[in-house]
Amino acid sequence: MNDRAGGGGAAGGSSSDAEARYGGWIIILALVSLAAVVVIAWGEVAGQRLVGGAAVGVILLAYSFILLFLRKGGFTGV
Amino acid sequence: MPELAPQPGRPRIVGFLCDFSVDASSLIEADGTMRDAPNVKLIKVPCSGFVRPSWLEFALRNGAEGVFVCGCPLGDCFNRLGNNLIGDRVVQLRRRFERQKIHPERISAIYYGLHDQASFVAGVKAFSDHVAQLPGPVVPAPRAPGGGVARPPARPAGQPAEQTPPAPEAQEGS
Amino acid sequence: MYSRALARLLDWTLRLDVAINRVYPEDFNPLYYTGGLSNLFLTVLVLSGIFLFLYYVPSFNDAYISVQFITATVPYGVIIRGVHRYAADGFMIAVLLHFFRNWFTDRFRFSRDEPWISGMMLLLFTGFLGVTGYVLVWDERSQLIVALTGRTLGAVPWVGGWLQSEWQGSAGISNLLLPRMLYLHVGLAVLLYILLWWHYVRIRHPKVWPPAVWTLFSLGLVFLLTGLLPATSQPVARPETVPQTLTVDWLFLLPYVALKVMSPIVLLALAVVIVVYGLYIPYQLPETTHALGIRDSGIAQVIDANCTGCELCYYDCPYNAIVMTPSPHPGVTKAAQARKLYAVVLESRCVECGICVGACPFEALELPRMLERDVQEKVVAACRS
Repeated sequence: MNDRAGGGGAAGGSSSDAEARYGGWIIILALVSLAAVVVIAWGEVAGQRLVGGAAVGVILLAYSFILLFLRKGGFTGV
Repeated sequence: MPELAPQPGRPRIVGFLCDFSVDASSLIEADGTMRDAPNVKLIKVPCSGFVRPSWLEFALRNGAEGVFVCGCPLGDCFNRLGNNLIGDRVVQLRRRFERQKIHPERISAIYYGLHDQASFVAGVKAFSDHVAQLPGPVVPAPRAPGGGVARPPARPAGQPAEQTPPAPEAQEGS
Repeated sequence: MYSRALARLLDWTLRLDVAINRVYPEDFNPLYYTGGLSNLFLTVLVLSGIFLFLYYVPSFNDAYISVQFITATVPYGVIIRGVHRYAADGFMIAVLLHFFRNWFTDRFRFSRDEPWISGMMLLLFTGFLGVTGYVLVWDERSQLIVALTGRTLGAVPWVGGWLQSEWQGSAGISNLLLPRMLYLHVGLAVLLYILLWWHYVRIRHPKVWPPAVWTLFSLGLVFLLTGLLPATSQPVARPETVPQTLTVDWLFLLPYVALKVMSPIVLLALAVVIVVYGLYIPYQLPETTHALGIRDSGIAQVIDANCTGCELCYYDCPYNAIVMTPSPHPGVTKAAQARKLYAVVLESRCVECGICVGACPFEALELPRMLERDVQEKVVAACRS
C-alpha cells in the first residue's frame, strides 16, 4: 500500500510528490489538533471557556483542511 | 472537411455535449467535428442526463470506437442531477459491457464547465488516445441463437446486406 | 441591456468557479452548495436558539439580566451565545451567495420560479429574524432599533399608526414589546421552515447539507470567532435616554444605517421596490426559449404504449415533474400490459431537460423535438466516413 509516513516518497512520480507534500501538512494539522485538545481541556479546568471555544474552532478548521488535503494528496477520493 | 475515418491512433469518437457545460462553439466545425481532434464528432443534447445508455451502445455498434458524454462539473449541473445520473448510468453500462465482452473503457462520462475549453480538449484527446490502444474489435461478432456458427458483424444502417453462407466450424468470440 | 448584464454576470460567476476549482476539488466547491451551507447555519441557529430560549426572559427588567446570566453564569452560555450570533451572520452570507449565484446562473427560468419566489420570502424573513434577535438583548442598540423601526412603520400612509402599535405591542413602548419580539423571532423561525417546505417541494434530492470539508470549516470559523470576538451586549437600555449610536452588524442592520441619510418613507419605498423587483426577476426576460436562444425541445411526452410504471423517471426527475398514477388502461408492449402504475408529466413543472428520457429503459418517454430517432440519425451521421 502507499507509504503514508509524512514525507516518504519512496516510489518516484507525481502522485507520491502530492502525497509527500500534503502528507506533511496533514501531520502538522493533526499535531495542531492535538494541541487544541489540550487547550480545550485546560480551558475547562482554568474556567477560560472562551479560549476553549476558540480551540474547538481551531480543531474543526484543522479537520476541514485535513479532509481537503487527504483528497488533494490522493489518499481518499474517487 | 476532415473525415471521421479510423486511422492508427485516431479512433472514431462520438461525444454527447450538454447545452450548459463547456462552450464548444469555438472548438468545432459546423458538423460537430472538433478542430483540435478531427476524429471526434460532438452531438449537442439538452442535458447530459438526457443521454440514454442504449445510445452509447448504439454508437459503438454503428462504427464509433469510443463514446463519451460531457456534462457540467459535478455539483453544478444546470438541471441539478443530470451529470450525477449520467455518471451512474455510465458506470452501470460499463458493468454490462464487461459481461457482453465490450471493453468498458470505450465509454466515459466527463465533466467540464463553461470556460474549461482547454481542459475539455485535453480530456477528449486523452480519452481518444486511451481508446486508441484498447484491444480487439469494438463489439464482438454476434453468435447465432443457441451458440454455434458466426454471422457477419452488424452493418451500419443503409448498406445492403450480403448473402454469406455460414461456415460450419468457424466459431468466433470467446 | 439587462440580458447583456446578466450574461456578463454569468460569465464572471463561472470564471470564479474555474479559479475556485483550481484550489478545491470540484465536488468541494462551496458555491455549488450554497443552499446546503444556508441550511447548515440555520440548523446551528435553531439548536443554539433553543438553548438560549431556555434562559431568556422577555421583560423590560429581566431581559438584559437574563442575557448577561447566559453569558456569564450558564455553563457554555457564552459559547452558545457567540455561536448563535456568528451563525446568524454566516446564514445571511450563505443565503446571499445562494441568491446571487442562482440569479446569475439563470436557475429560475420558466418552471423553476417557485423556489425563487419562496426564496425571496425566505430572504426577507431572515432579515426580520436578525432584527428581532438584536432587539431581544434589550440594550441601547435594541432601543434604537425599536425606535427607528417604529418611526419607519409609522411613516406608512394611512396604516402607519396601526403598524407601529402592532410592532410595539401597544401605542407606546410598554412591557408588551419584548414578548412580542420573542414571538416574532421564534414564530418567524417556524415560518422559515414552512417556507422551506415550499422551497423544496419542486426539487428532488435537494442538497440540504454541504460537503464535510465545508461543514467543518463553517462550524470551526463560527467557534473560532466566538472565542476571539465574544458576543457582548451594549449598555443596558434606559427608557429615559435616547441612544444616538449603535455598533452595526452590517448584514442585518444596514437599513438602520440608511436611515441616517434618507427619510423613513424613502427607505420604505426603496425596500418595496427592491422586494417587488426581486419577485419579478424570474419573469423579466421574454418567456420563449427561442427568444432566449435556448434549445426548444418540447415538454416530455410519455409513450402510453411502452410505459411499464417502473418509476425510474419519477425518481430521476430533478423537479418532481413526473407523478405516478394508477394505470388507466394497459399498455401495448408485453411489459406495459402488466403495469399497475403509469407515469404522467406535469407540464407546469417540466423544464424540458430530458433527464427522464435518459432514465427510461422502455423507450416510453420522448422530447418531441429531440426524439430517439433524431439522436440515432445524428450518431449514424457522426460515424459515417
